[in-house]
Amino acid sequence: MNPNILLRNNVKIRGRGTRPMIFAPGFGCDQNVWQSVAKDFEDEYHIILFDYVGSGNSDIQAYNVERYSTLDGYAQDVLDVCSALDLKDAIFVGHSVGCVIGMLASIKHPEYFSKLVLVGPSPCYLNLPNDYYGGFEKEQLLGLIDMMDKNYIGWATAFAGTVMSNPDRPELKRDLENRFCSTDPIIARQFAEVTFFADNRKDLAKVKVPSLILQCSKDVIAPSAVGEYIHKHLPDSTLKVMKATGHCPHMSHPEETIFLIRQFLDEFPTNDL
Amino acid sequence: MNEQLNEAPCGYLTLSEEDDILSVNQTLLKLLGYNLDQLQGQPINYILSASAILFHQLYLVPLIKLENQIEEIYISLKSVDDEEIPVLLNAVQRERDGRTIIECVVIPMRKRNELENELLIAKKEAETALNARNKAYADLEIAHETMKMQKNKLIELNEKNEKFKVDTERELGLAKKIQETLLPVPIINEHLEIQAYYKGSNQLSGDIYGFYQIDAQRYGLILLDVMGHGLSSALITMSLHSIFERLILKGSEVKTVMKELDDHLHSLFKNTSKSSHYCTAVYLLIDTDKREINYINAGHPSVLLQDINGKQYELRSNRPPLGMFEDILFKTNTVTYNKESMLCLYTDGVEEPIGSDRLCSLLKTYSAAPLSALKEEVIQSLRYEEDTLQRKDDQCLILVKLK
Repeated sequence: MNPNILLRNNVKIRGRGTRPMIFAPGFGCDQNVWQSVAKDFEDEYHIILFDYVGSGNSDIQAYNVERYSTLDGYAQDVLDVCSALDLKDAIFVGHSVGCVIGMLASIKHPEYFSKLVLVGPSPCYLNLPNDYYGGFEKEQLLGLIDMMDKNYIGWATAFAGTVMSNPDRPELKRDLENRFCSTDPIIARQFAEVTFFADNRKDLAKVKVPSLILQCSKDVIAPSAVGEYIHKHLPDSTLKVMKATGHCPHMSHPEETIFLIRQFLDEFPTNDL
Repeated sequence: MNEQLNEAPCGYLTLSEEDDILSVNQTLLKLLGYNLDQLQGQPINYILSASAILFHQLYLVPLIKLENQIEEIYISLKSVDDEEIPVLLNAVQRERDGRTIIECVVIPMRKRNELENELLIAKKEAETALNARNKAYADLEIAHETMKMQKNKLIELNEKNEKFKVDTERELGLAKKIQETLLPVPIINEHLEIQAYYKGSNQLSGDIYGFYQIDAQRYGLILLDVMGHGLSSALITMSLHSIFERLILKGSEVKTVMKELDDHLHSLFKNTSKSSHYCTAVYLLIDTDKREINYINAGHPSVLLQDINGKQYELRSNRPPLGMFEDILFKTNTVTYNKESMLCLYTDGVEEPIGSDRLCSLLKTYSAAPLSALKEEVIQSLRYEEDTLQRKDDQCLILVKLK
């Protein structure tokens, strides 16, 4: 047990089971997004929730620009938590960019994981003409970054700076917590750039852990074509198309999400399509 | 929708939990250029710009789910003409009539948007400038440190140099003294008198001479001028000195002495043509009984021989300087002298300033005077010339009175 990592990543442990189940949030959010889904598995599993450094209630001082300039830095957070808790054969449940982060972690240390559940994954968001459909043009992604700027994400004066330099004004910190899933705005800005301009297609083939892809209908962030691409290139993967729409089924449609995860974990006999 | 809300000075719309448009007020419809039936039932993405669709999915959906409200969000809507309309958005998720809906208020902020664009640009420029300045400062710091280091190195080097210079000058001074210890004292007896004058240039000397009484009647007199002056020439003079002293005191033949000196110079520089030195040399073997002089002059200025009547003869060079060419055959020349004859040997450090004519005339004028007086006269002439010329060469003069 490494208490420093547990503190650094705001690790919360619940559940009465022995088999570990670790939940990785998506972009811009903290562990709270898993509230509905994780609760359902508490009886049978050893639930582990955490925040990436810079998100939620993680130790923001631990943020390092070089380390988190690629998704490998975030994957290392996952590995640090697994190592600190000495996990074996854990079930990894990731959302959005958390999926790639989990895949990268499993490539480095497959022994920590027994199964991967990938909710709304995408290995690359950019459209690469004649090559790959990721769903977005470069202008769109740049426009997104621009919009983040206009919402003061990444502005030191607006948020983080104020919080840092006013420790005696806790109401400011609360204010921060109420916005943007409590990710530090500067870090969120960097996280966005890292996420949306990453290309991890070549890593798909290296994943050795069996995985479940949960593809939402009408998900603009991770469209169906991307889900199919992943299924094609990810060895030992199962693709399930959900009735749920949008990009966050774990929040908007928790029951269907829970059902499909349980099915994958062999709790009911599967109805293969 | 009641009339007040429909025509409120802001846009108002409601969404289902799945983000489908339920209702839109008149203000917003007008802003976007749609009729209600065109929008009702459509997903929100229909009226969002491309980037806004992303932003909504990534930020707003989770935020509303968790916090049930959002405030002061900047987002851009898309009109029927595909025009982007920047708005400020507040939204709240609540139960109404048994279903969960999301109520949104939007206020267009075109002007404010322009201002914010300007601010953003200015902010980025300021950041860039700040970074550039910081980098420049950092570079300057480094340059400054480097310069300091180099300056210190230079100072150190300078001190070393100074010390080296002082040490070297001291060493050279000592070396010069050592050279001078080799010079012989005058010989005065009933057969002859030999006096010498020597003044080295500022550096070590490339001239060396020696006179020896070999036995009761024979005397050896040698004068060498090694090319150049300074350390290398001085070392050669020392080397040659040890050879000729040994040979002369042994009573070797003139041609033997010259040949061995010649061989020695060749062997010294056998492997390096670059550093070869040669030297002009003249060796006189005087037999006071026979009144005979055997000599060889290799490249040296002529030796003056003056008889009692003042007639002068030149003992000329007929061989190249030693060390210049290999396998030279040395042939001894012989000349006889009568009573009260004089010899004058010199190096070009003496000949150049005064000229051989002047030397000859001095020799004549002072033939009857003591040898030391003649020596003084020559020295005076040299000093006179010295004031106008810079002394570059070693000066060496040997005067012999044959009785």
